[in-house]
Amino acid sequence: MARRRPQAMAAVSSGAGGAVYRSRDPVRNLRLRVRLQRGTSSGPLLPQAPPLLTGPALPGLSDRAGTGARRPPEEEEEEAEVGWQEKLFSQFEVDLYQNESACQTPLDRQYREEILKLEKAGGRKNCRIFTYTDHDRFTNLEEHCQKVTDSDHEVPSYLAERMANVRRRRQDCRPTEASSLKSKIITWEPSEEFIKNNHVINTPVQTMYIMGDLGPYGKLGRREYEHVLCTIKVDDNGVITVKPDFTDTKGAYQIEVDGEKREVWKYTIENASVQMKPEEEEREQRVFRDLYGRYKEYLSGLVGSEFEMTLPGTLRLFVNGEIVSAQGYEYDNLYVHFFVELPNQWSSPAFQQLSGVTQTCATKALGWENVAYFSYLFTLEMFFTQGVESQDSLPQWPVLYFEVLSLDFWQRYRVEGYGSLVLPASPGLHNLTIPTWRPVELGTVAELRRFFIGGSPELEDITYVRTPSTFKGERLSRFGFRTETTGSVTFRLYCLQQSKAFLETSAMRQRMQSVLDRLGGFSQQGSVYSVLEAFQRARRRMQEARESLPQDLISASASAVHQSQEP
Amino acid sequence: RLHSDPIVPIEPPQSSHRAHREPPRPRSAALERRRPVPAGAAWRPLSGLTAGQTHVDDPQADDVTYWCHPIDVHYATKGLQGWPRLHVQVWHQDALGRRHVLGYGFCHVPAAPGLHSVRCATWRPLGERRERLRRRWVGGGAGLAEPAAAAAAGACDRFRLRCEAGGSVHLQLGVVLRHFARYGVCCG
Repeated sequence: MARRRPQAMAAVSSGAGGAVYRSRDPVRNLRLRVRLQRGTSSGPLLPQAPPLLTGPALPGLSDRAGTGARRPPEEEEEEAEVGWQEKLFSQFEVDLYQNESACQTPLDRQYREEILKLEKAGGRKNCRIFTYTDHDRFTNLEEHCQKVTDSDHEVPSYLAERMANVRRRRQDCRPTEASSLKSKIITWEPSEEFIKNNHVINTPVQTMYIMGDLGPYGKLGRREYEHVLCTIKVDDNGVITVKPDFTDTKGAYQIEVDGEKREVWKYTIENASVQMKPEEEEREQRVFRDLYGRYKEYLSGLVGSEFEMTLPGTLRLFVNGEIVSAQGYEYDNLYVHFFVELPNQWSSPAFQQLSGVTQTCATKALGWENVAYFSYLFTLEMFFTQGVESQDSLPQWPVLYFEVLSLDFWQRYRVEGYGSLVLPASPGLHNLTIPTWRPVELGTVAELRRFFIGGSPELEDITYVRTPSTFKGERLSRFGFRTETTGSVTFRLYCLQQSKAFLETSAMRQRMQSVLDRLGGFSQQGSVYSVLEAFQRARRRMQEARESLPQDLISASASAVHQSQEP
Repeated sequence: RLHSDPIVPIEPPQSSHRAHREPPRPRSAALERRRPVPAGAAWRPLSGLTAGQTHVDDPQADDVTYWCHPIDVHYATKGLQGWPRLHVQVWHQDALGRRHVLGYGFCHVPAAPGLHSVRCATWRPLGERRERLRRRWVGGGAGLAEPAAAAAAGACDRFRLRCEAGGSVHLQLGVVLRHFARYGVCCG
């Protein structure tokens, strides 16, 4: 069963331009009908129309029309239905291949046999219309001589010539298996044959030419009268290019031949493929849909549909962090000790370790600085719950405090620097380089001690780096505190935030509204909910009280109500 | 009702993934790299290889080795814990066929979608002075007893280790996150 369902994509240019079609069906079902007619008649191709003069430009034809009887009517028109890669022989080929010495390749010999068979069966059916298929030498030569520019002196370049000699192969010929390990991956001295076999152009495009032999009657079979009527290129992806396009509504195409007399030939091309029945088409669609649906179900079964969610009203901050390196420090054998401080409204799960110590790393020189690489990975998970009372003030974000220390071979232990890092409030990637400082004392004695023995002034409370946790005043004064700048530490943090608030899609809430405002909404809802709760409780109490009342009282009151309601 | 988990396909960008390394000493010849991608329990690889090894490359010019080794993994997850990590080991193979490790590196797979140029710093364990001398002249040296443990989530035992800084491995990772927004996760 054949089907062709062309959906014209883009006609490149009108007239002689081609058109591109798409089809998923096997291309062997493509059939074209070509009608060729000598253009002496003025109207469309009608076999019984009498030959008329078409204009003053054709004096030669008028002579012919005059002689008339010499020209047999069947020469004027020819119709052929051509399938994909169907070989129709031209007169030239018939003459050529009957000669056995002209056959060089197996293809030539095959043609020769076919021609002999045809001759025995009574000659070929087509006369002027013939085809060149993908295997013919013509296609290679045609592409070889293709001009790319409009210069008159264009000559194919060396690369074009070498490419023309490379045999084309079809896509299904040799899929390379990359997984198997060949014994020899590299061939150091390739032979000519090897090069030719491996420099194959896997052209995914198959071409076919429908040609017309437009020579004068009785003198068919001359190469110079061969003209391309139609070029069909088929891609592996089902893209069919027909150049020129099918003549559906436009008039026939014309070719002017300069021969003994100037002649005009007209031809039309039609799509003659068998169309598919609509039921079959629907069945095919259903099969595809089932297949894709089943595969999608399989995939989603693998993936599942659960995911950890947070409680409403909480924000979960998930940080994938890494201490990458420390650079610019005086001494060697550095390590970093850090911990995370959570402010009031933050909490972390029980298993979460909020501190860490890296390994001790000996530095190396990179550029002007000594750098130590840690590649220390840590993960932090924290929850933020907004209380009702602190809605006005901005929440504090957790801070990571760290200190860089050095411990050398003589077990001298020194503080190299203190620093702090506020966890970023926006999700995403953050590359942060934090400079550090260390406290110094006045005078040289402390420095001498640090150099010879080790030991240096340390901070009692590392949170002093930002705001000491014990500080409760309004102004922090660090007057009298001396420090010295030391190197810096590089962190790489990936922050993720998860909250049910991000799922809010009501039109009232803007996209850029901050998370905290949205979290605040939950607390408002919380208060509304608590009011509702209180109401429910009161109602329940009232109902219980009603039940405990003696029955006669209720009935009396009910009857009283009834009486009052009656007129 | 079909619902999909957040899927984290980790794909290299269109131009092939490029990884290059700066060796610590110019005389380090042929380098190769192994890269397991350990992830937590909630993560399941759907497709792609989670471990692999590049070929051996010899830096001719510069001190940079180019592998162009692709990494293409597709994960499905039920939670945020155990985000996948990339564990890289750089090995050296000399003309006699001996191999020893030049560096261990660890980094998180980026959690933000997009194209990331990640520089993974590497280090290698430092022996005592005699071992270091031997390593300088003859080669070899101690490696980690359990490399995977160093990449593990806890990694509380890192402080026991003494190491020295190595080179760095550059990775270009393109990360696509799917359906994370459905569960209220904002990835930036």
